[in-house]
Amino acid sequence: MDIQLTEVGPKTSFFTAPVSSLSILFSHRFLIKNLLKRETKGRYNNSLLGYSWTVLEPALLSAVYYFLFIMLADNPDRLYPVWIIIGVIVWTCFGKCLQATVTSLTRNASTIHLVYFPRIIFSYSTTGSTVWTTMMSSLVLIPLLFIYDIQVSWQLLLVPLAILLAAFNAVGLGLLLAPANCINRDIEHLIRFIVRAGFFVSPVMWTWDMAVERGWAADVVIWNPMVFPITLARDGFLGRVSEFPMDGVMISVGWGVLMWFIGSALFSKYEHSAVKYL
Amino acid sequence: MSEQSIVVEDVSLSFPKKKSIVQILKRTDTSSFLALDNVSFSVKRGEVVGIIGRNGCGKSTLLRIIAGIFSPDQGKCRSAGKISLLAGLGTGFTGHLTGRENAFLYGSILGHEQAVMKDLMDEIISFSELESFIDEPLRTYSAGMKARLGLAVASALNPEILLIDEVLGVGDPVFKEKSKKKILDMVSEAGTVVIVSHSFGLMTSICDRVIHMNDGKIKFIGDPQEAISSYYASEEGRK
Repeated sequence: MDIQLTEVGPKTSFFTAPVSSLSILFSHRFLIKNLLKRETKGRYNNSLLGYSWTVLEPALLSAVYYFLFIMLADNPDRLYPVWIIIGVIVWTCFGKCLQATVTSLTRNASTIHLVYFPRIIFSYSTTGSTVWTTMMSSLVLIPLLFIYDIQVSWQLLLVPLAILLAAFNAVGLGLLLAPANCINRDIEHLIRFIVRAGFFVSPVMWTWDMAVERGWAADVVIWNPMVFPITLARDGFLGRVSEFPMDGVMISVGWGVLMWFIGSALFSKYEHSAVKYL
Repeated sequence: MSEQSIVVEDVSLSFPKKKSIVQILKRTDTSSFLALDNVSFSVKRGEVVGIIGRNGCGKSTLLRIIAGIFSPDQGKCRSAGKISLLAGLGTGFTGHLTGRENAFLYGSILGHEQAVMKDLMDEIISFSELESFIDEPLRTYSAGMKARLGLAVASALNPEILLIDEVLGVGDPVFKEKSKKKILDMVSEAGTVVIVSHSFGLMTSICDRVIHMNDGKIKFIGDPQEAISSYYASEEGRK
């Protein structure tokens, strides 16, 4: 019996790449599980507090921003510290996912040179481990519910949903830039800057309501795809019906889906030529 | 008539040289390095083929083309069956994970399924002679222990096409013998083997044919002894 000769390294079609990337994830689930284990176990290796850092880091960071903001402007909102904590958690998830996916090929150069499997797995597993630690961070919100005497509602589930959306919004752009970063490392430095600057442009230290109070500001910031996930998490925590405009939802989700399609397609198109630069 | 297992047709591959911003703007000539230049050959099922040549002649690149790590700029490479590349034992080994976790990680990187790895675990532990160390973090291992674990996992592979890139010679003399024997076992079990090595003794004893490569081109392909003569002749010519 003749085994059919097939071309080595089959290329996926440009337009079906996003969908075939999902089947790749499923068929390599054991590998992804092990890569996730490596990343999550390694992150807090050799530290006394271990996983507590996932909660401590956003909490301490928020405390600093809180005092900074109190100093700059007298803020009457008693929930303001909570808004910052949520903002920091969701924004950090986006920032870390973006940086992790952009550098997913360059950080794994030695493995890429020795064995072939679809490299998109590196991008997704590193995103997965970031989402996991962010979920752990968001546990800090549970004691805050009691401190601020907030009714526990089903809307709390919107918090993890918002975290997933933040990660999703980062993945597309990250996949798009990961092959480019192999060719030119300027990309990762640029992204680091964008993540830092984006911190202020996104509602981390301010809220959507504050922007609405300023009138014209809301029309501008609505174009930032990260406004919706952060606002969603805040409304979810409070258990209130969101007044966030539908346009903003469409912009955020639309950005995520569009970038994911473009990113996956370009990643599969260019990964082969990009790895030669590693 | 025997079937073809690997068919490499007119494969060329060049590696880009790093450019600086200034070079890009000035459009100065930044030629790329041609690693493989129109290479064609085929390997029949069940054949053991060796590749020899000086460092940097494209031997490893050729194996990586067959393994799918690089895709050729021109030409194509086709193959029949599952391919495994044995190179740099212990890819992805991580210090803070235990030996067992690393074995699972490495096994999954090499393409094993979870169930297969579970079945192989006892064999891996006994072959690597790690015993109770298997549940200690890898950072406590000596270099030899890591190498043994790496080989134990890698040698549990059962591919139809086996590609070997200079993996002999790890560990103490006793383990070295053991690993050589293991690799020879793998060679005899695998359907088709392509092996890159500088050990000419090994090449003549196990290979059906040997390819001599020089500057990204195939200089000679055929009888092992003649390939080695061709290698020495071209090395003489260089002097």
